[in-house]
Amino acid sequence: MEEKVQATGIIDSVEALEARMAEMRKAQAVFATYSQEQVDKIFKAAATAADKARIPLAKMAAEETGMGLVEDKVIKNHYAAEYIYNAFRNTKTCGVIEEDPVYGIKKVAEPIGLITAVIPTTNPTSTAIFKTLICLKTRNAIIISPHPRAKNSTIAAAKIVLDAAVAAGAPEGIISWIDVPSLALTQTVMKDSDCILATGGPGMVRAAYSSGKPALGVGAGNTPVIIDSSADIKLAVNSIIHSKTFDNGMICASEQSVTVLSDIYDEVRDEFEYRGCYFLKGDEIEKVRKTILINGALNAKIVGQSAYKIAAMAGVEVPETTKVLIGEVTSVDISEEFAHEKLSPVLAMYRADSFEEALDKADQLVRDGGFGHTASLYIDTAEKEKMAAHADRMKACRILVNTPSAQGGIGDIYNFALLPSLTLGCGSYGGNSISHNVGALDLINIKTVAERRENMLWFRTPEKVYFKKGCMPVALDELGTIMHKKRAFIVTDTFLYKNGNTKPIEEKLDAMGIVHTCFSNVQPDPTLKNALEGTAQMRAFEPDVIIAFGGGSAMDAAKIMWVLYENPDADFSDMAMDFMDIRKRIYMYPQMGKKAYFVAIPTSSGTGSEVTPFAIITDSDAGIKYPLADYELLPDMAIVDTDNMMTQPKGLTSASGIDVMTHAIESYVSMLASDFTEGTSLKATKLVFDYLPTAYADGTNVTARDHMANASCLAGMAFANAFLGINHSLAHKLGAFHHIAHGVANALLLTYVIRYNAKEVPTRMGTFPQYEYPHTLRRYCEIAEYNGIKGKDDNETLDLFIEKLRDLKHAIGIKDSIREYGVDEKYFFDTLDEMTEQAFNDQCTGANPRYPLISELKKIYTLAYYGEDDKKVDF
Amino acid sequence: MEFNEKDIIVRRANKTVYKVGNEVIKVSAPEHPKTGVFNEALITSYIESFGVPAAKVLYVKEFDGCWGLGLEYIEGQTLAEKMQNEPENLEANLEKFVDIQLEVNSFRAIGLRNTFPKRTEEINALDIDPSIKWELLQRLAGMKRHTKLCHGDFVPSNIILTPDGGYKVIDWAHATSGNAGADAALTYLQFTLEDQDLADKYLKLYSRKSNTAIQYVQKWMPIVAAGQLHKAKSEEEKALLEKWISVAEYQ
Repeated sequence: MEEKVQATGIIDSVEALEARMAEMRKAQAVFATYSQEQVDKIFKAAATAADKARIPLAKMAAEETGMGLVEDKVIKNHYAAEYIYNAFRNTKTCGVIEEDPVYGIKKVAEPIGLITAVIPTTNPTSTAIFKTLICLKTRNAIIISPHPRAKNSTIAAAKIVLDAAVAAGAPEGIISWIDVPSLALTQTVMKDSDCILATGGPGMVRAAYSSGKPALGVGAGNTPVIIDSSADIKLAVNSIIHSKTFDNGMICASEQSVTVLSDIYDEVRDEFEYRGCYFLKGDEIEKVRKTILINGALNAKIVGQSAYKIAAMAGVEVPETTKVLIGEVTSVDISEEFAHEKLSPVLAMYRADSFEEALDKADQLVRDGGFGHTASLYIDTAEKEKMAAHADRMKACRILVNTPSAQGGIGDIYNFALLPSLTLGCGSYGGNSISHNVGALDLINIKTVAERRENMLWFRTPEKVYFKKGCMPVALDELGTIMHKKRAFIVTDTFLYKNGNTKPIEEKLDAMGIVHTCFSNVQPDPTLKNALEGTAQMRAFEPDVIIAFGGGSAMDAAKIMWVLYENPDADFSDMAMDFMDIRKRIYMYPQMGKKAYFVAIPTSSGTGSEVTPFAIITDSDAGIKYPLADYELLPDMAIVDTDNMMTQPKGLTSASGIDVMTHAIESYVSMLASDFTEGTSLKATKLVFDYLPTAYADGTNVTARDHMANASCLAGMAFANAFLGINHSLAHKLGAFHHIAHGVANALLLTYVIRYNAKEVPTRMGTFPQYEYPHTLRRYCEIAEYNGIKGKDDNETLDLFIEKLRDLKHAIGIKDSIREYGVDEKYFFDTLDEMTEQAFNDQCTGANPRYPLISELKKIYTLAYYGEDDKKVDF
Repeated sequence: MEFNEKDIIVRRANKTVYKVGNEVIKVSAPEHPKTGVFNEALITSYIESFGVPAAKVLYVKEFDGCWGLGLEYIEGQTLAEKMQNEPENLEANLEKFVDIQLEVNSFRAIGLRNTFPKRTEEINALDIDPSIKWELLQRLAGMKRHTKLCHGDFVPSNIILTPDGGYKVIDWAHATSGNAGADAALTYLQFTLEDQDLADKYLKLYSRKSNTAIQYVQKWMPIVAAGQLHKAKSEEEKALLEKWISVAEYQ
């Protein structure tokens, strides 16, 4: 006849266990739908029932196990019911437990499922109450694997909690247990559950961890106590006795050794003796040694027994009322029996000549027997240094001060912020996944619901931007009349200085009585050495205002000098670190402006450096170009005065003019473009289309120069905030590898990059919450439309836009290919891979709406080299 | 084959060992299962294939209803005899003993039965307090699972010192693949039954030479003691073994 497995019957076989677990899973699935109100009602009813049964359960546990003391077990049961209920009564464990609509984050608690609980003999009923209650609170099912020695009382406790929970509405069978414990069943239950709460010895904890299921295991304790010379001796000794005798020493956090400082040793000893502890004499120590340990293992027969009984087992006669047997020993080595955990009222006592020696001893005891568990200290809390040294040295997850460690370690009795628990995590020291007191929140899965949010954006620009032909002296007036600056430092290049272009500035400063000096040796593409030279002069002069006068090079060099002047310790490699998001960068720039105000006055219409947070400097010794970017580098005042622009040579007008166009276009299609930057980008494109050819053809045309100066500054503001894209990435490296002027390099790549970015099905799109889908084609068309270009559809508009850009380039004398600028074909292709990879890694790549593949960038370079038709960008 | 009384080297309840020419024949008692003999032949063959210095298996054969295992005869004196004859050289001989043990343990015993199921069966078969059994099984479950060659009865009388200065280890019936700590614990237990002082000397030496903490070996003691319980030769021995197994885990 086929054997039938009754799922509701006794669990004494793997088959019966599996059937029960299947039923429990069904019950748990129902439980998982319960509301917080339903759960709290069940939690309260179950805690109340356990609380009421605390005395019969305590009696049962003491009788069945033959260990411990009924009265203390009553306290443990009381604690497990009342304190655990109290600690979690208001804790949210169901559904949404946390929500922040602004950030779009919601945390949702879900039960784990079916929990296995391994319950030890030392605290069977209280641990069963504790674990079943926290499982009920978290809508988990729990199956208990009791110890054979404490089986009946463990099951009785679980049954009381179950019956009360079911009566309050919990699903039937939400709590269950193995009736006939065996290791095979324990292993099965561990393997088939979702999480294990493993309290007990290292063997069980290891078995739990090796079951393959997440386990909240705890380790063995070997709590060492130090009594410092400053301690309140009466409080210390009596706390230790109180804790050590509690349930005959079976709490894992209980004291195992006391190390006493020499100067108070006798007093401590007298107090112990006075309070009923027995100091073992002569060969009694050896007798007890051989009784408490067998081959290095704890004698099962002494666990939870009274001091008197243990003494009798060892053949030592002591008064029947003896509270604790104390062995005065010297070695903390594991070969000393007294140095071990004893789970009984037997204590080791050491003498230490210094606090440091006491720490050494305690450290060793923790490491050898209770790694990660608990350490205890009695001290005057004014001794902050000693307390810190103790907390630092002890590899213990609970460090208790002036506290009985048994009642203190489990929490909420002697300290009300330490979570009450009967399962104490020992951290990685003890091979555990947790280092805190286990609570209800360890038994839930928290699902985080994260809604898409867009980044906060910004528009940052110098606090003062002055413009209009002839505005410079008026603007500079503020330095004297309003800001009362005393010492000005002008940074410029040799040509401008010798040409007398700085004269109007100097005259104005003189008129205001501002002392000034000038560093006029800025070189094109300034080097670090060059900047350091200026910095030295600046430091000597100690200006309170810096006036950068010139093109991009002079303004960049001045920014660097400013950084070094204000922060002599600044490190360039740190400042040049690439970032994904400027707000999340690793290196934070030092705050600028503490020593000097920064005024930028451009003399060319191109870089827009007067309003940007960027600067480029080359370390010629190391061969490294440092692109610096941070809003700390933003000038305080920009003065855009066309009078300073009139002498720009043709080549510069052309190259820097087309650079402005590239800034405007790239900032418009950048993923970071916003309503605040788009307007300036668009206006800049129109000004360049309308005035660059004239400014190029007739450098004396004030209107054209004026509008180009504004276009440059407007585009600068746009890309200072929306950033650029791969056109600049590619141009930076083309310029560096083949010495092509930056603006020209941009122009040579522009039409290819536009084609590439405009693809509706890019290989990869850029990553930015504001960038919802590939829409760059439309963005280019918006620029075209703003400039009066309109085809029959977006594709034709794009074609016409590109044509107009090509016409512009021709009008300002820019050639069609890289080759035409004298770049050797072989050399170009020999260095192409390296140049491409560097371009890919350029800081500008990050804001590009299309995330490029290196191979694609290489194709763009190749097409641009030969000046191929941009329509060949079919990738 | 006819066996003569004079050829007997050892006589036990379940087997008689003869030396005939260059062979040693272990003849089992008639009730002894055939599988036991083949099993020992198999284990010993494995040992041979690992390259461990041991007596070679020659055959398994039936002699008048009793199964016998034929092994190569090893010339020489056992280490036990040497230790007894030379009390003044105790240290050196013990050292030799530990060296040989460590050499044996250094082999990977791939193919041999693992210690764990064997020990589990031993413990399960015991008629003792279920909570002690539980503690023992729990202790066993937490042990590290190695695959070292463990002799299972590594004592000086199972080592023969050959005239060429070498050695051979005999009696591999209990060999398993497992944790060397268990093998050392068993040796310690055998020594303890004879001479506590010698046992302690052995353990210290083993710990030093194998660079293993004494506690590591001690952890196995309750487990190996459980396996010996049914073999206890006296009430005194039984009491000792019972004391050894009655331990609790730290918590």
